[in-house]
Formats: sequence, structure tokens, C-alpha cells
Amino acid sequence: MSRRVVLGIFENESSLLKATRESRQSGVKIVDAYTPYAVHGLDEAMGLRPSRLPWVCFGAAIVGLALKLWFEYWATMTDWPINIGGKPWDSLPAFVPVTFEVMVLAAGLTTVFAFLVISRLRPAKRPVLVASGITDNRFVLVLEENDAHWDFRRIQTLLQKHEPVAVEERFEGE
Amino acid sequence: MNHSATRERFALRLAPLLRQATIAAGVAAAVLIAGMFVAPERAWVSLWMGSFLLICLGLAGLFFVALQYASGAVWSIVLRRVGEAMSSALPAGAVGILLVLIAHPSLFPWYHHPVHTEGWAAFKHAWLSYPFFFARALIYIAVWLGFGWAIRRNSNRQDNESGPELSRRNTRLSVIFMVAFAFTFWLASTDWVMTLEPHWSSTIFGIYNFSGMFVAGVAALALVTIALRNVGPLRGTVTGAHFLDLGRLLVAFSTFWMYIWFSQYMLIWYTNFNEETAYMLLRSSHGWGKLFVLNVILNWGVPFLLLLPRANKKNPHTLAAGAVILLAGRIVDVYLLIAAPFSPQSPVPSVWDFAALVLVAGVFITLTFRTFFSSEPVPLGDPLLPESVHSHA
Repeated sequence: MSRRVVLGIFENESSLLKATRESRQSGVKIVDAYTPYAVHGLDEAMGLRPSRLPWVCFGAAIVGLALKLWFEYWATMTDWPINIGGKPWDSLPAFVPVTFEVMVLAAGLTTVFAFLVISRLRPAKRPVLVASGITDNRFVLVLEENDAHWDFRRIQTLLQKHEPVAVEERFEGE
Repeated sequence: MNHSATRERFALRLAPLLRQATIAAGVAAAVLIAGMFVAPERAWVSLWMGSFLLICLGLAGLFFVALQYASGAVWSIVLRRVGEAMSSALPAGAVGILLVLIAHPSLFPWYHHPVHTEGWAAFKHAWLSYPFFFARALIYIAVWLGFGWAIRRNSNRQDNESGPELSRRNTRLSVIFMVAFAFTFWLASTDWVMTLEPHWSSTIFGIYNFSGMFVAGVAALALVTIALRNVGPLRGTVTGAHFLDLGRLLVAFSTFWMYIWFSQYMLIWYTNFNEETAYMLLRSSHGWGKLFVLNVILNWGVPFLLLLPRANKKNPHTLAAGAVILLAGRIVDVYLLIAAPFSPQSPVPSVWDFAALVLVAGVFITLTFRTFFSSEPVPLGDPLLPESVHSHA
């Protein structure tokens, strides 16, 4: 499948934000925006749904917490009871620090891996840069043709209003 | 000027509430004074709890302002006047503290029965001598009032002479204040709360009190901010982005409180020394046990889960609910800290306790809103104000 996209390349984040907002309002489909750093408010301007990653994090934390607590009770009460300082077998206060650490570890690692999977990132993946400078000082907005009345000039005038460095039209073959 | 006209309009809308708060405070003060003659052994404890709550709320307002200056935060500039207004509760709290220290120092067991503990006997004896104790209280209060006065003065002056110079001066003051605050608040909480049980000691006690003081302060600040946004003066300037950040502070410091609470509890539980466990045993058994659990639920369990989702931090209704729960938790916490040794068998909630709480709420609301309306609702002269208004989530 091939598609036609337009790249608006900007010099600063405020131009990018304004262009993104206007593109969305005029019904142009936004493929993605590429920036050298996280731009506040860009997700809102693009109309992205809130990330579901926090739920992955929360779920993993609960699982980590439950598993660790179960393991501690099983180890100290059933499998290998040892008298430590006369404390009872089921010494919850003593379990809490380790449980906390395991919970954080489970939540942290799971979130990172979930993020990698969602964004299809893996080691040795070759980066594809849509334009030079997006890891440096350029902000790129990628728009896609989504109807028959695609008018490159209309898109161009829309982007030109926000002082782009360049506006490029590209055909992508996949 | 147009500005002051709108300000007066908003003040008028809040006037009935303020009048009620003032009247309630007056009635509560009268009840407390009566209590000092009817039931002095309870009423002075109530006043002490109330004064500590109030001075902590004022301090939290000042600490919030100083923290934002010291960290160079921009998002919170629109909330600076709220923090400054809260710090006006400081002198009122100080009056209560000094009143108890002057009129009823026998609240402290070491006042009549000097402490003789092995090892540190000489030091404890000197540290807990009344003149030195009282002089220290004066120093703490003077330091807090001095910094609060200077920071607020600079901030108000900036409204007329805009530019970064006064921000820079306040940043410098704030950094010095935070160092001074760390020492004075640690010592003050030790003096005013820990020495109610002079044979018990905990080195983390100052941090524990700081965490409770600050999380309750941010909760109160969030409630005042929401009220001011609903009534008018902060409508349009305070947005979901600011609520989100306040919610984050609440979740973070509620968890910090829990962390410190547990650190103290676990070490005492683990070492199991008689002189240390007495403190926890008193609070976790008999009638106090339920409050002991409730303390953790209100200060961390419920608000943590409630404010964890991003949408709930952004929504003023859920944020307000979390803040109210945290303030209720703060009252339980202070009650456990201060009232427990006075009735070891079980809590004896009295009308004097209730009167003290009404007095604190009334004085806090009256002073905070009156001070807020006495100056511009946001620091107009701060060059970074526009950026703060347009904060993003």
C-alpha cells in the first residue's frame, strides 16, 4: 500500500503546535509529529487519546505485590520457618520493604517492556528519520492524504501560515 | 482602578462565608475559654492541638511559596498568592502556641517532674528547662514570621515594579529560609510534640511532622484554590493543568508521609525496646487502635488510590474530595500525636476538641481569604506569570 504524505518542517515548537492544532481543526489526518524533545501540549493538539500505559503499570504493581507477599508468607510460615529475634512467622512489617521493592521492580520493568512493544522498538532496530534535524533542532508534522479531494496547495497554504522551513510532499511505498 | 473593583466584587460574594467563619471562630473561642475553667485538663490540650494545626497550616503556605521560588517552578506562580495568604495564619497560630506556653506550661510532664534519663540526663535536663524551652519557641516563631514577612513584602512590591530583580531576591530568601526552616521545624516539633512524652524519642520525628504538615498544607491550598476559582478571582487563570500538578504533589507527599510513618514504625517494631515500643503500644491498642489504623487509611490509603488516575487529579471535584480526606487524616494524626498521652486508655473526644477545630477552621478561612483579597490575585509583576497561566498538563 502506498500513501501520500506532506511534511511540514518547523524551527520551533510553538509553530509546530499551532500548525498541528489548525490541521486537526480543518480535518486533515495527522500521521505523527517528530520533535527533538517532549513538547508539552502536543498530545492534546494532535488529539491523542490518553495513554493506557499507566494501567499496565498499575496492574503489574498489583501482581508484583501479590506474588511477593504470597512468597514471603509461604517461605517464612510454611516452607522454612526460622526464629528471627523472637518475631512471629507472619511478620508483615518485616515483609513490607522487600514487597515494596519487588512491586516497583515489577511495575517498572513491565512498563518499560510494554512501552517498547507498543512503540515497536527493539534493539538493533534501524532508525528511520523522516527528515534530517528532528533529533537536533527541527520539528516535523506529518499529514496524510485521507480523501479524494486532497489538495496539496490547500495543505501548503495551511502550513505556510506557521513559517515552516520547508513543506515537502512524499509518496511512501510500503 | 478596574482591578480593585472586580476584586471587591469577588470579596463581596465571599463576604457571607467569611462572616460565618469569623462568628464561628468567635463562638468556638468563647467555648474554649469556658473550657479552661470547666475542664482545664482537657481544654488546654485541645487548644494546643488547635494551635499546632494552625501554625502548621500557615507554615505550609510559606513553605510552599519558598519551595516554588527555590526550585524555580513556573506552573505554581498563579498559586503563589494563595500560599502567601495561607501564611497569614502563622501569627495566629503563634499566638495560640505562646498562650499555652505562658499560661499552661504544665501540659508538659517535664515541667513539674524534671527528666532523669541515664546517659543523656544532663543534656535533657538543660534542654527541657522552661526558660530555654520558651526562648527557643520565640526564636522559631521569630524566624518564621521574619521570613514570611520579607518574602510577602517583596512579592507584593513586584506588582508595581515588575522585573526579575525581586523574584531573584525572593529566591535567595527562600533558599535561606528552607535551611533555617529545616532546623527550626525539626526542633519545634520535637519541643512541642515529642516532649509531651519526654522518655520517648525518635530521630525521624521532625521529618514525620514535616511530611504531615506539608501534605495537609497542600490539601488546604488546593481547597482554597478551588474555592477561589469557583467564586471568581482565579477563574480562567487556574486550569486543569494546575490541579493536575497540585494532585501530583498530594499523591507524592501523602506517599512520603506513609514512607516516613512506616520507617518510624518498623524500626521501633524491629528493635523492640521497651522505652520505644511504649509509644506505639499506647497508640495501637485499647481504644486508640482504631484511630491508629484510620490514620493510615485517611492519610495515604484512600487519597492515594483516589488521586492516582490522572483524570481525578485534574478534576476539581475529586481533587477537593482527596484534599478533604487528607485534612481529616491530618486531624486524626495530630490527635494521635498530642492527645494520646493525656488519656492513655482510649480517646476522649470532647466538646473542647471540637471547639478548637472550629476555631482553627474559622481563623484559617477568615485570615486566608481576607489576606488574599488585600492584594492582587496573582503576582502581576512576575515576568514568568504568562507562562504559568498557560501551563500544560
